[in-house]
Amino acid sequence: MSGADERKVGSLRELSPAIEPARDLWPQIQARINAERSTAAPPRPARVRALPPRWLAAAAVVASVAVGVWIGRSLLPAARPGAQSPISASRESFADAPTALDVAYVSDPRYQRDRAALMKTLQARLEALPPPARAKVMASLAAIQRAKQDLQNALGKDPGNALLQELLVDTYQDEMRVLTDVQASDAGREI
Amino acid sequence: MTQAQADDTRVDWEAALVQRACGGDSRAFERLYREHSGRVYGLCLRMTRDVQLAEDCTQETFINAWRALARFETRSSLSTWLHRIAVNVSLAKRRKASPVEPSLDDEEGTGAATEWTLETPVEVREIEAAIEALPDGARDALVLHALYGYSHGEAAQMLGVAEGTCKAQLHRARKLLRERLNVEVG
Repeated sequence: MSGADERKVGSLRELSPAIEPARDLWPQIQARINAERSTAAPPRPARVRALPPRWLAAAAVVASVAVGVWIGRSLLPAARPGAQSPISASRESFADAPTALDVAYVSDPRYQRDRAALMKTLQARLEALPPPARAKVMASLAAIQRAKQDLQNALGKDPGNALLQELLVDTYQDEMRVLTDVQASDAGREI
Repeated sequence: MTQAQADDTRVDWEAALVQRACGGDSRAFERLYREHSGRVYGLCLRMTRDVQLAEDCTQETFINAWRALARFETRSSLSTWLHRIAVNVSLAKRRKASPVEPSLDDEEGTGAATEWTLETPVEVREIEAAIEALPDGARDALVLHALYGYSHGEAAQMLGVAEGTCKAQLHRARKLLRERLNVEVG
């Protein structure tokens, strides 16, 4: 099964459990998943409007925590007195080494225009919300902001990491969804 | 970074990817597939002894996992969860393809080897061929216990047999390997 592996081992435990398939099986798996998605509901509802802000906050926190742990363990040197904070380091390293995906996304004029318009009315919209809903939105936006900063910091250290790039763009999109939801909300309606 | 830290980090990433895949993100699911496909395919291939069947079982495993992902608890091991699905899928495919072999349910489990050391080193291809030649039940138990590191109880649960049966199958596997490889298996 391992082909012409002439290596000798002294225990069965030394055999590798993994065997790579001769061909890539993913395209067929993806096709089946897509076919099922087009005829049935996905594992969880994907409609953004149906998702409460706490879901977005949870997703952002997951990304933030995962990235934070990863940065802490694999990228950042051990903490020492007077060391630069990750966030300020993030800003500098990100300014030095912006990623192509990130730059393309945030410099898109439509994104800039839409975000600016949403931010302009955000405060007024927030004030019109019931306090619990306002608190949820504020918490979501703060979590998203932390996730963005962590991801930017990580990308500054590892600009070629495709997963980090995807997570960052998704985080921008999450932020836009929250802002759009706030914009679309009625004063007395739970968002 | 220590191995334990690397494992923790991988699990952290895995939990984030599972969350994203649960939300319908197939790219995140593809990353999970890339991470686990080798071990899942290796399990399916050793259980079915057929490349085409093993490919089918691997695909079926990940499709079933996608459908059930919302029910997966991120506190538990994703690899163990995937292996359970792979074993179920492989057993079902194999039952369709060939008749069931005689059960060892009545045999008493004996003290099975735990280390699976060989008296003298043997070429990997020779061992793989000897494993491939084992009867289904003995091979299943051996692969899960000796190669994938599952305990007797875990392997038995995955295979849907009693723990004593699993130990008996391991005893049988050790005896047959000893005969085929002509070395002591400790």
